[in-house]
Parts: sequence; C-alpha cells; structure tokens
Amino acid sequence: MPRNLNRREFLKLAAGASAAAGLAPAIHSVVIEPFVNPPEEELPGQATWYASTCRQCSAGCGIVVRTIDGRAKKIEGNPLHPINRGKVCARGQAGLQVLYNPDRLRNAVRQSGGRGSRRFEALYWPEALDLLSNKIATLSSAERLAFLGGMMPSHVYLLVTRLLEALGANPPIVYDLQSALEGRGAAAQLSQAIFGTPDLPVYDLSQSDVVFSFGANLLETWMSPVAQSVAYGTMRQGLMGNRGLFVQFEPRLSATAASADEWIPVRPGAEGFAALAIGRIIIEERLGHVGSYRSQAVLYEDVDVGAMAAASDVPVDILRRLARAFADADRAVAIPGGYLAGQRNGFASMLAVQSLNLVAAQVGREGGVFLSNPGPTAALRENPPVNTFDEVMELTRRMKAGEIDLLLIHGTNPLYELPAATGFAEAISRVPFVVSFSPFVDETAVWADLILPDHTYLESWGYQVPLPGADRPVVSSQQPVVRPLYDTLATTEVLLGLAARLGGKPAEALPWEDEASFVEEMVGELFGSSLAAYDARTPSGFWALWRQYGGWWSEKPIHREPDLTELVEKPLPVSEPQFEGDQDDYPFHLYPYSSIILSDGRGANVPWLQETPDPMTTVQWGMWVEINPRTASTLGVSDDDIVQVESPYGMLEVPAVIYPGIRPDVVAIPVGQGHQDYGRFTQAVKGSNPMELVAPITDRSTGALAWGATRVRVKPTGRKQILARLESLDGKGRESLE
Amino acid sequence: MLKRRWLLFTGLLIFTGVIGGILLSRARVLAAPDQPISYSHQIHVEAGVQCLYCHTSALRSDVAGIPSVEKCMGCHSRIATDSSAIQILAGYWERGEPIPWVRVSKQPEFVYFSHQAHLKTGENCETCHGDIGSMSDTRASVKMDMGWCLDCHLKQSEDKVARLADCLICHK
Repeated sequence: MPRNLNRREFLKLAAGASAAAGLAPAIHSVVIEPFVNPPEEELPGQATWYASTCRQCSAGCGIVVRTIDGRAKKIEGNPLHPINRGKVCARGQAGLQVLYNPDRLRNAVRQSGGRGSRRFEALYWPEALDLLSNKIATLSSAERLAFLGGMMPSHVYLLVTRLLEALGANPPIVYDLQSALEGRGAAAQLSQAIFGTPDLPVYDLSQSDVVFSFGANLLETWMSPVAQSVAYGTMRQGLMGNRGLFVQFEPRLSATAASADEWIPVRPGAEGFAALAIGRIIIEERLGHVGSYRSQAVLYEDVDVGAMAAASDVPVDILRRLARAFADADRAVAIPGGYLAGQRNGFASMLAVQSLNLVAAQVGREGGVFLSNPGPTAALRENPPVNTFDEVMELTRRMKAGEIDLLLIHGTNPLYELPAATGFAEAISRVPFVVSFSPFVDETAVWADLILPDHTYLESWGYQVPLPGADRPVVSSQQPVVRPLYDTLATTEVLLGLAARLGGKPAEALPWEDEASFVEEMVGELFGSSLAAYDARTPSGFWALWRQYGGWWSEKPIHREPDLTELVEKPLPVSEPQFEGDQDDYPFHLYPYSSIILSDGRGANVPWLQETPDPMTTVQWGMWVEINPRTASTLGVSDDDIVQVESPYGMLEVPAVIYPGIRPDVVAIPVGQGHQDYGRFTQAVKGSNPMELVAPITDRSTGALAWGATRVRVKPTGRKQILARLESLDGKGRESLE
Repeated sequence: MLKRRWLLFTGLLIFTGVIGGILLSRARVLAAPDQPISYSHQIHVEAGVQCLYCHTSALRSDVAGIPSVEKCMGCHSRIATDSSAIQILAGYWERGEPIPWVRVSKQPEFVYFSHQAHLKTGENCETCHGDIGSMSDTRASVKMDMGWCLDCHLKQSEDKVARLADCLICHK
C-alpha cells in the first residue's frame, strides 16, 4: 500500500515542510476579541460554574455548567442534588449542542410564504406579541383557543394554566411521545387507583434485594433514568449487605435487560400474566415471611397459574423460582414500566405488577414503594399532569371540526410524535392561526403561522418539582448560565407580555414584570422553611443560596408512605392483550422503543447524540429494525439488508440488525429518526418515523396510546444499506479465524 | 550532469527559503502588528492609568484580560472624542461589535502559563513585556520561547529551581 519514497523525494518533502514550519508564525496571526459588555461574574481565563436544572428530559436532574469567558463549556451533574447526585447522562451532557445548535431560530418569525412554505420573515418581538394578543382578544370565544404542550417545567406550566384560566379557556393539553413511551399518564392513573393520589410512585431500588422490572427501561429513558442508575449502582455494589438480584421482563433485550441478572422474554402484552402467576404462586405456596395472605388471596381468585404461564410464554418452573426469590427477599420491589402502558391491556398489567408489592408487603417499606413528595408549597404543587391520548384525539377532532381558531404549541412536536393515522396533519391545517414556541423549525413549527422561539434551558430562569421525586422533597432551580445567544424570548416572558397587553383578568393573574421576578417570588415562599438543607437569613440571601445550590431540598430524607384504596380488595382483572392487524397477514409485533440517545426524537438534531453508539447494536448515525436470527433466516434476511416493515397503517423501509436478544415474533425499531424537518443533522440519517406504522388505538381503561399493540409484516427488498457500527455483532465476519 | 546542477539549485533555493522564513518570522514576532485601532500604551501609561485598571484579571487569573469595549467607553465617552482612533472605537461600541485586536504576546497551546502565579512572586509586567509604557505601537520585546523562559527559571533560588525546571510545570 505505501508508495515507495526515494531519497530525493523525501528530501524535497522534508525541505518543503521545514520551510513551511519556519514560515508558520509569520503567516499566523491570532485575533483576540474582548467582550463589548462583559458578562456578570466573568473573569477572563477563569471558569465560573452555575448550578441549574437539565431539561433534556423531564426528570429534573441538577446540573452544574462550566462557563468560561461567558460561554458554556461543559455540563456535569450537581453533586448536591438529591435526584441525580452528581451524575448526568449522555443526553444531559449534550445539552451544549442544543444551546450552540446552528439550526436554532435567531428571532421571532412569520412564515411569509404561508404555512408550510418554510420561508420566514423576521418579526420584531413587540410586533409579534401585539399580533398574538390581538388574535387572543378577537377570538369569538375563549373555548376556541387551545394550548398543546410537552412535559414542560413547573414554572411554565403554572403560567400557562393561570393565563388560560384567566382567559376562560380550556386548560392546556400536555402530551408528548416520551411521556407515552414511559407510560407516565398510565402510571399516574395506577397510583390514583391503588394509592388514591396521582403522584408517581418512587421505587426504592437502592435498598432492594430483588428488583423485578416489567418493561421499564429504567437505566435508559424511563421516568428518571439517572436517579435510577445511581440507585441501581448502589444495589449492585452490595452496599446494603448483598448484591441485589435484578430481573427484567420484556420481549426485547434492552440495555437495561442486559444489565439484569435474568432477562425473561415475555410474550408482548402478557407481562401482567407473568406477574399474576407469580402473585398466585406466592399465595398458594404461602411463600416468604408475610405470614397470612388472607387479605390478598382475593386478588388472585381468578388466576390460573398454568394458563398464565402458557399465555405469557414463561414456563411454570421459572415462574415458581422467581416467585420464591421475590417473596423470600427481605426487600423486593416490582416495577410496572412503560412497555406495559403501551398495550391495550396496559392498566390491568400494571395493576398486576403493582399488586406484587402489596402481596410481598413492600408498600411504604425501605427497598419497596414510596410516593413522590409533592411540591412543598401550594404554587409548587401545580405540576403538569399528562393528558391521555384520548384527550389529544378529542382536541384533534375539534381542530378538524373547525372548533379551534388559535392553537399554541410548546415543547412537543405532534406532527412527528403522534401516530400518522391520528390525522393531526390534516387537523392543524384546519386551524386558522397556529403559534409554535419551538427554538427549532420542527415538523409542527412548519405548520405554524408564527414561531416565537423559546430560549434554551441554559439561557432562562425557572424551577421544577421533579416527578417522580427523590427520597425527600425537592425543588430544582434553573438559571441562565450564559446570556441568550440570539434574539429569542423565554415563553414565560411571552405569556407575561401577553397578559400585560390583554389587561383585565389576565394581567391580574400574571402580574409579574419578568421571568426572574416571577420565579423569585414563587420560590421565595420556601424561605424560612425549617426543612431546608441550607439556612438563609434574608429573602435575598435565600435567592442567592437557591441559585448556588441549584434548588431547594430537605436536609433529611422524608419518605412518603402510600395509603391503599379499597381497589386492592377486589380480584385482579385478567385482561387479554389485543393487537391491531390480523395475525396471519401481520405476523410480528412491532416494538417502537424509546432510544437512549434520541429519546422520542428530540435528540435527533444533536450531533454528539447521533454519533453516540446505541448500547446494544452499537449503530451510530442510523436507524434499524431488530430481527431475531431465526426469523431472519426464515425471511431470508441478513444484517444490513433493507426490509419493508408494513402495518395496516403504513409502511417504511429500514436496514435490519440481526439481534439474538429479541423474541422471534417481535421486531423492534428505535424511535427518533426520520425527521422531515428539525435541522440539518436530522437529515444526515436515512430513516423513517416508526410512528407512521403505529395504530391510533388506546387502552380503554386509561385512554393511553397502545403504541406497542400494532402488528406488522416484514419483507426483504433485496437492497442493502450498510450501518456504521462501533462493533460488529457476535464477531460476525471473523468466522474464518476459528 | 545537468540533473545534478538542477538539484543543487533546488536545494539552495529551499535552504534560502527556510532561513529566510525563520528570519522573517522572527522579525514578524518582534514587530508591531497592524491593529484595528492605533492604540498607544504610552499615552495611557503617561496619563497615569495602571496596567491592572484595564488588564484586571492578571492578579486573579491565568490570563491578564483585554478590556471590554464597555470599559474603553467608560472613559472615552468623554475623553479625546475628537480623535480618529476614538471615533473608530465609538463605532464598534455603537454597532455592539467586539474589537478584533491582533494578539501580540502569545504562548503556544501546549504551554500552561499563568499571569497570577508570576505576579504573585513579585514580578512586574515589564519583566516579560518590556518597557511597554513607552511604546506607541504595541510589540513584543522578546521572543517568548522556551529558552527565554528557562533563562529566568534557572536563575531562581536553589530551592525553587528543581520545580521550575520540571517539564510538567509548563507542559501539563
């Protein structure tokens, strides 16, 4: 391969190189640009660390951001923060590329060529606010205004609800794909049914000896992954005496399942059956040390272990072994996860799993189940609940029927995130005026008349009550770590500006001058609390400590023990899973899973995340479908073959990854690629949006989207797309070395 | 034969190029570069302005700091407003643009240097930057290479020399 270099050529090259080197300083001049106005607390050459809250997902981890010369350089976990205890995930670290993303909108814009034209005309902020307040003031009825939001931080939610209430409009609809994939809404309803409150449970993993996770990818994206990973680490390091046992029930070997002792590939939708069988065995055999099971026996009246084992595809002897491990453990906990919520029998399955904690008497015990502490003051208790998919469908229906004249969208991207079959694209076209607050031109913003780009979270104020919470009450603080890079405006400022312009009730409900004074007043109520981890003598001293610590939390752990409702005295329902698509035509279950790097797709415009290898397949900058080797050989498909995946609702083409860690009757696709818009980096990946395949069906008991209940068929296309992988699977291609 | 002469000629040409380049670059290092505003340290020092008034972080940080445009305007909103240089400065201020000063004294990226540490030992600015108070065009008075650094480091008292001559003190 290397060309032979003779002596003469070598000398010529060497002489040329040294001449260039000698000349280098002469042609190289360095420009230093001092600030026009130096940022506060800036000391040239020295780093300043600001404590704030991560907003890459809704977990509410505390971060510290290193800034130097007024620029954010590095994000780390806040070691004092009770949620993440100094740790932070890849998505949290990559927050810098949200701030510095070249595709951010730099000012308010109007679509000059009409909606969908992608031709934007800059708008002066006061003019934009006048325009919007005028639209609100001239609505024929406040009912014709709708606000659709994602999992927004607490402070935004509070202002949105207060403004809508003052206007006499309906409360906001809060929904995004990530909350559907993690089953957040269903989990709140489960809490309501069993514990009588919608506050999410906190599973005390760190103190547990045995953890059964049913479809909760708790080390990846489910709920509060960093907190759960820290707790998992504590459990595994045996700090509590022995190394805990971790069993994952899921049709696909996720990164979480790969970290477990045992992976039980349950039949999709039958996870609840496995839980029911385990519960029944505990009671039948009087396992564990609870003594009498008389009060719980009624729960399992209708359960037949043999039938459950057959339906869930888990042999009885395995179920028996697991039941013993669970019941004999001093501290055991069963976790109903997001995959369960994505089935049509989701609520019944989650109930069956949560009931295991009742049977083993782990509710309100260390190593068992507690409830999240709500916000410590009345205002801080106002946190976004997740609306059901049914409520989103109702909004879509109203939009289609022409009942909505003004739609405001914040922190969610329904055109990408909702199943295409929902018809949201058609619905949005029927709304006369649409406003998006997205900092990026995403699929939904393309259909907005007006885009009022929000600051990124590293440029604005705020607070968040993390839900699920920690082992103590926590309010996390958010503060700007840099001056806003562009002429964007925090959405809270837009809401305050609108209220001031509208006058009357809205102005009374939102009397604050700006975002910072609003946040200062809200959290100022915590001043003087005897619980706090730090003491402040004056309100302004509190405000300083609040920012330095990155929030407020109790010095000592305060566990909130749940109460049980009478529901737990009735037999548990045995609910058969149902799927969309005939089994003969569509032989495979589709599992669209939340990607650890792209989440529900909002990470797709961040190059650091795109180039992070997926932990199981090690694919970078790519999208794929995982197929079991047995299924693949029947289909005649091998690695990197492009296959056609078709459901009754749509079709897409995607390269295959032959993956032994998946049931032969399931194919899995990570969510997050296949954006039509959302910046240049999303376009670098050939991909399609798996939500185009998903049927818009729900679990009737919760109204949650049954995103895992669609069947598909898979056909080879004869074409190939080589995926870039950090490692090949199972040493493929090295067989000759044997 | 012709070939050999040709080779000799090329070799000579390259040799002159290298030597010329080195000399030229050395001259460039010590020359005052063109700046966007013809700034004179002499005028400011003679007016009694202390170094640390503008280079505020020299005592507290690795870098001495270049004053912000705002700091310049703190005085020059009133002082010498009819000078053409100050009018250029005012132009940057009004447009909200930073001034693209050309760096005069530069350490390579692989050198860790701290102003704070040097000032703490009692050195003053002139030790390294020369008689900057009498310069109307700012230029480097010495070529800040490793030999020059060591020259001073090796002259320190015995108890310090071992540490100050350690590679890792500057090449961290």
